[in-house]
This record gives sequence, structure tokens and C-alpha cells, in this order.
Amino acid sequence: MPGASKLAASVRRIFGTGVRVDSVRADTSLVLRLTRSDSLLGFARVGNVRGKDQPITWLVAVDPALRLRDIDILVYREPYGGEVAYEAWRRQFRGKGADAPLAVGRDIQGISGATISVNAVTTAVRRTMADFARWRAQGRLR
Amino acid sequence: MTLRRLAALSLLSVPAALSPLAAQTDASTTIGGYGEVHYTNVSGPGTPGTANLKRFVVYLAHSFDDRLSMRSEVELEDARLEAGSPAGEVAIEQLYLDYRLSPALTLRGGLLLPPVGIINETHEPPTFNGVARPDFDHDVIPTTWREIGVGAAGAVPGLQGFNYRLYLVNGLVASAFSADEGIRGGRQEGQDAVFANPSLTGRLEYGRPGLRIGTSFWYGGSSAQDPALGLGSFDNAVGLFSADARVERAGFALRGVFATIHVADADRINLVYGGSVASRITGGYVEGAYNLLRLAAPHSTQALNAFVRHERYDTQAEVPVGVTRDAALARRYTTVGLTYKPIWNVAVKGDYQLRRNRAGAGEDEVFRLGLGYQF
Repeated sequence: MPGASKLAASVRRIFGTGVRVDSVRADTSLVLRLTRSDSLLGFARVGNVRGKDQPITWLVAVDPALRLRDIDILVYREPYGGEVAYEAWRRQFRGKGADAPLAVGRDIQGISGATISVNAVTTAVRRTMADFARWRAQGRLR
Repeated sequence: MTLRRLAALSLLSVPAALSPLAAQTDASTTIGGYGEVHYTNVSGPGTPGTANLKRFVVYLAHSFDDRLSMRSEVELEDARLEAGSPAGEVAIEQLYLDYRLSPALTLRGGLLLPPVGIINETHEPPTFNGVARPDFDHDVIPTTWREIGVGAAGAVPGLQGFNYRLYLVNGLVASAFSADEGIRGGRQEGQDAVFANPSLTGRLEYGRPGLRIGTSFWYGGSSAQDPALGLGSFDNAVGLFSADARVERAGFALRGVFATIHVADADRINLVYGGSVASRITGGYVEGAYNLLRLAAPHSTQALNAFVRHERYDTQAEVPVGVTRDAALARRYTTVGLTYKPIWNVAVKGDYQLRRNRAGAGEDEVFRLGLGYQF
């Protein structure tokens, strides 16, 4: 499956090499739990959000304190609006916690001509952060 | 742990997490669209305010698989179409197949939007200020411009942030050019389009957070094998060049567009058809906006953009021998207004426009209100 290598490359870029990937079930979602030599590196989640008419496959990675390590766009299927995949836009998310608004026009700058993908991905990240916070409160993300 | 082992481990332990990556192996259909309602009141006697359901547009797209998709846009203007009434129009504005070979190359064919300027490709109501689209994007760049052809689109490989579109489409028809609307009448819009003048159109743009700049062109003949104008593919060549920029920073948004169009042998068009078509059409606009809620309600995710736009264009910037320039066609339009966006894809708009020209003839003011959405 072509996607597996993209996921692996993304995990390696964000967390480094020698990472062990396990899965944790939370509600109906699967969360990846990343460790190295038994120490917890963080969690990650993969999902889809609709762009203009195609799904955008994203990855959200957090550290053990649930602060954002990075986000990644694993598959971008439309011919434009793909600027959301670039470092210049994604790096805005790094270090933000559950308290961050994660709102376009507030703490996340948009990209003219790519407003649909910008808003779609930002919404997906915001919802994922809320999910992570809720699952931790329920004791699922240890 | 090698990358391959990590990938294999991922595959074994988290198969469900990978299913989003395989999302496109199943076909899917999406519906989207936009719409706008306008209230328009032109100053002066005999012009009462009018309300109009300006546009109802449906996007219908279908992905056949991971690479092949269809995209379309159908539009209904003025709420209804009735025989004998001048108002109302139903039109297919886009219909094409996309085949994605790579992020750098998507092959495309069908009824396409020449990628000229900003509004022709991006015209959903919440994406621009002002109730109506700028008049420049009607009289100079003939939005919504759509023609049949084939081409390519994608991200420029190796140059992060750069996108391109390049299409070969049917040409314009010179017999329908005019003094006041330039090349607009010459659009064929996908209906029995004469392909005597294959035309090339394209755009190169750069985008990053807070900035998008682009440059576009159109080049092709427009004689449409009219024996009185010329049988060559490039007779009455129309050459268009445009440049545009959008800048955003700290609640400010600046937008500017410039275009110049040259019509070759315009004197011959006028000789045959008796009009006053120009040999050069030039103009543009600059717009500045500021989100007032940044001051009034800094924690809000809504926007209240105050804007001012100045358009300056002349559809008779240069005229061939035999035509006297009409100074009233050198327009100077200034628009001020507010755009309230409770969410990013809904807009409540109001504006006031001063319509002036170099002749000082037929000048007026327009007050407009509007509602618009996209999804």
C-alpha cells in the first residue's frame, strides 16, 4: 500500500528513527502511540478532510504533553491549493497546545487562493486537538 | 529500525489508521456551490432600487479513482429563465476531466476557465469585497470567461510555492468585440465554438502564507475565418497580459490587478462591422481592506472588513485609425464598503460606489447590499 511509506516517512521526519509504532483505540478512532526504547515520544492521528472536492489526508502529531509537534499533509489530491503541504504554512502549528484557538485569521495565517484547503486542514487539526484532550481526560492516552 | 520495517510494522499494527490514505480507491461524488443575492440602487431619478437573485451555482464533481476526476459548475442567473425575457441565464461555466499524473502535472480537458487575473478563477462571493464583481472584471477581463480546450495544471517541480496552468482553447470572435466591453462579446462559452483560432492561455503564480502573486496571458487570433477579416489562424490576434497580487498581514488585505489587451488590425474589424473597437484596452484596480474586528473584538473568529477599491480602466486606451476615443469609456470607479463574514464562507456585504469617467458624462453613484455563501 503506497500510503504506508508516506506515513512512515512522516513519522520518521517528525520523531526521528528507531520509532516503535503501536495503536490505541479511542472511541471509533485509531491513535498511533510512538515510543523509542520504552519512552513515550508522543501520539499521532491520520485522517481525511474534504478540500474543494477531494479528500486531503493529514497527520497530526503531538508530544506526551499533547502539544503539537507538527502536522503533515500525507496526500494532497487537487491540482492547486497544495500550499498547505509546505513548511511555511505547517510550521505555524508547532508548539501549540489545546488552549490555542487554531483559527484562520487569528493565530493561523491563511493563504490567498487556497482558503478552502487552509480552512479544512485547520479545522481538522483543531478537532483532533480537542479529541486528544478528551481522550487523555478519559485516560486513554497514557 | 529501517524505513521498510517501520512501514511494515505500521501496516501490521495499525491497518485502520492507514485507510484514509486509501480514500481515493473508491469513487466518490461531491456537491458544492455558491450563491448571491443583490440589492442595487443607482442614484438619480427613474432608477428605483432592485433586488435580484444574482447567481445560484452548483459544483458537481466526481472522482472515478485516485487519478481521474470530473469537475463541473452550472450557474443560474437572475432566479429564472423565461422565453422573451432578457433577464436570466442558465449556463455551464466549467466542465472538464482531470487526470492527475503527479503533483506537477494534471492533464485537463473540457470547458475551462482561462486562468487570467483573480476573479475569473476565484469568484465565490465570500472571496472578494463589494457586492458585485469589479467592473474591470467584466469590461476588461471578461469574467466569467470559459472556453473549450485541453491543458495542464500543477505545482512547478522544484520551485516550492509556484503553480501553473497552461491551456490551448478555442479563440475569441472579433465580430462581437465592442468599444465599451472590449473583447467580452467575443467569448464563445462552449457553444458551437469555432476553433479556427486556437489560442494559448496560461498563468504562473506563487503563494505562501500572506502572499499570492501571479501573471497571466492569452494569445490567439479572433477572425474566426470570417473572409472579410482573414482566414489565418492568427488574424486579429488578441494578446493579453496581466499581473496580480494579494497581500495579507495583521488584519490588512491588499489586492491589485493590472491587465492590458492588444487587438491586432482592429481597424479592419471596425470597417467590416461598423463598431469602434479599440486596438488596446488597459486598466486595473487596487484595493485595501482592514478587519475592524481585530480592534473591536480581537478574540473573534469573525471578520468585518472595511475596504476601499479604486478601478481605473479604458476600453479605448488606444484606437485604430478611423475611431475617435470616447472619453466616457475611461472609467474611474471608487467603491467603499463593508464585508461581514460570520464564518469564512458566508458574507454579508454593503458598498457605495462612485462611477466617474474622463468625460464626466453619465456619472452616477450606486448603493448595494448583498448576501453570499459558498461551500
